[in-house]
Amino acid sequence: MKIGCRYGTHRVIEPAGTLPQPAYRLDNTMSVFDNEVLIDVSTLNIDSASYTQIKQACSADAEQMKQMILSIVEERGKMQNPVTGSGGMLIGTVKEIGTAFPSNKLKVGDKIATLVSLSLTPLNIKKIKKLTIDSDQIDVEAEAILFESGLFAVLPDDIPEKLALAVLDVAGAPAQVDRLVTEGDIVCILGGGGKSGILCCYQAMQNAGSSGKVIVVEYSNENAKRIKNLGLATDVIVADATNVMDVYNKVMAITGGRGCDVTVNNVNVPSTEMTSILITKGQGSVYFFSMATSFTKAALGAEGVGKDINLIVGNGFAKGHANLTLNIIRESKPIRELFEKLYI
Amino acid sequence: MKKGNKYGVHRVIEPKGVLPQPANKIDNNMDEIYDNEILIDVQTLNIDSASFTQIEEQAGGDKEKIAEIMLGIVEKQGKHRNPVTGSGGMLLGTVEKIGDALIGKSDLKVGDRIATLVSLSLTPLRIDKIKDIRPDIDQVDIDGKAILFESGIYAKIPDDMPANLALSALDVAGAPAQTAKLVKPGDTVLIIGAGGKSGMLCCYEAKKRAGVTGKVIGLCHSERSTKRLMDLGFCDYVFSADATQPVPVLEKIEELTGGEMCDVTINNVNITDTEMTSILCTKDTGLVYFFSMATSFTKAALGAEGVGSDVTMIVGNGYTKGHAEITLQLLRESDKLRKVFEELYA
Repeated sequence: MKIGCRYGTHRVIEPAGTLPQPAYRLDNTMSVFDNEVLIDVSTLNIDSASYTQIKQACSADAEQMKQMILSIVEERGKMQNPVTGSGGMLIGTVKEIGTAFPSNKLKVGDKIATLVSLSLTPLNIKKIKKLTIDSDQIDVEAEAILFESGLFAVLPDDIPEKLALAVLDVAGAPAQVDRLVTEGDIVCILGGGGKSGILCCYQAMQNAGSSGKVIVVEYSNENAKRIKNLGLATDVIVADATNVMDVYNKVMAITGGRGCDVTVNNVNVPSTEMTSILITKGQGSVYFFSMATSFTKAALGAEGVGKDINLIVGNGFAKGHANLTLNIIRESKPIRELFEKLYI
Repeated sequence: MKKGNKYGVHRVIEPKGVLPQPANKIDNNMDEIYDNEILIDVQTLNIDSASFTQIEEQAGGDKEKIAEIMLGIVEKQGKHRNPVTGSGGMLLGTVEKIGDALIGKSDLKVGDRIATLVSLSLTPLRIDKIKDIRPDIDQVDIDGKAILFESGIYAKIPDDMPANLALSALDVAGAPAQTAKLVKPGDTVLIIGAGGKSGMLCCYEAKKRAGVTGKVIGLCHSERSTKRLMDLGFCDYVFSADATQPVPVLEKIEELTGGEMCDVTINNVNITDTEMTSILCTKDTGLVYFFSMATSFTKAALGAEGVGSDVTMIVGNGYTKGHAEITLQLLRESDKLRKVFEELYA
């Protein structure tokens, strides 16, 4: 077996010297290096920002979307959306384990979800078996490679695999909320009605406690109603998160002009950076989970309005994130039922 | 006088409803100001380093072409926001007029020399003439006017140093001030792009905070900046490498830290594709501060996840309380720093 680099640089075709994520093209030949795992892929969970972009580019036509996904993988050797830069994740069965792969927790035949992004995972799709425009999970016949540094979770027995995949996809978000939010905090979750938003709300309500506030800003009436019914927020605002002054005025009305201690941005459309910044109070934190975030808009935006706040780049990985997130599904029956309805 | 919005929303032409920074076009008519604005007679623009580098490259280093590109940007947008990098810079000028609503509220008076500390990417600007371009220090002397909004931050130019010196340091004031907040005694700190303007300030501040039990490592690119940083003596180690190549840099840091890696990494490099290097060189419980405007959000976010690093990544905020004072103070504290700044940037 050929010897591979811990981070998978041996798979980079161009440009040379970069890591697999920023690389334009990867070698997706499906024979393993000594520190790799070969996975028989059954389902891809395309990142929400990426899926939205593909859907728009293809005018929501399923056949065209299939073609677009196939051609991205054909060209790049991985499913990294060239516009959004983002990937997603996958589930599959372990087919072969390299002799030098370090984890002894994995054996051939295990069902796993990879927790590293598809944007750096060598992938070869033979066939797209099922794609529906409303679900970002697509069934495929494909193979993929997991690197030595790559994260994965063996799928639990007590949660259906598609449900597990749907929540593991956004596992970083609630785990980071758990770290950031303390008792008595005023928390605002932008895009609170989506998948990661709901998990963040649940965690924020737990951590902020009865003396805190969790405010959700949601675009769709239906999602807003759902959050209210599930009791996942103390206040729900229906508004367009890109409309800075509208959201600002509504949040200030709820907080008595104080603003928020922690703002979590889960909105998968561009230009919501300023909204996040303005509703956060001085010395507070904004956690940008949205892959549609622009670095310069955030950095210059805060400076532009003279706001001394922490702007944090959402890290999809936090230690223990898979367990924390699967536990939310175990703890909250209403969320489990909702997710089963929406994502399976 | 017409009543203005605190954040300058009244100057936005399109798209409607956004703030001046993300706007594509803002109103730069200076004949009449709003009641909460300050009109500035501009002498010098200090273009953001990433922006100037891009413009210079596009112009092939030709000054006429640089002027043409800059005038074109302002003509189109009413402000100097580089369409490629999205970044701006800052300016030096004299207060010409103060809006009625600010009289008594602001400590400024007509005739004060100030540097605006908000980005040019949101500052209404009119350029009448470009008088001189100094590519080495990203500064451009102009005849022109600009508007400071009510929420806009500024610093009065101190009497004990030349205006250009103060401007060049204030331009990157956020970086050393954030370094002061982040670095604790005993920390191992990596500064990427350590030989540049903000890099040198960060190195000095980092060593001050990390103390004798800490370790400050400076990564430079050119031979000249490497030697300069070595001579300054702020860092425990200085080395030269290409920050876009994560693997060799990673190996070097492993060697310098005995495999421990860094507690804090501060990225000041104004080129793209240095996110992974920053992440890999940092302990997975550590912190990366991205000060470079060339940082890609998705490359950082997905990069950390991709290598399974639990690192905290912060978007460099150009503003933190007291940043102007902290930074000007560094030039007063360190004669070596002041001398290098005078030679290079003033």
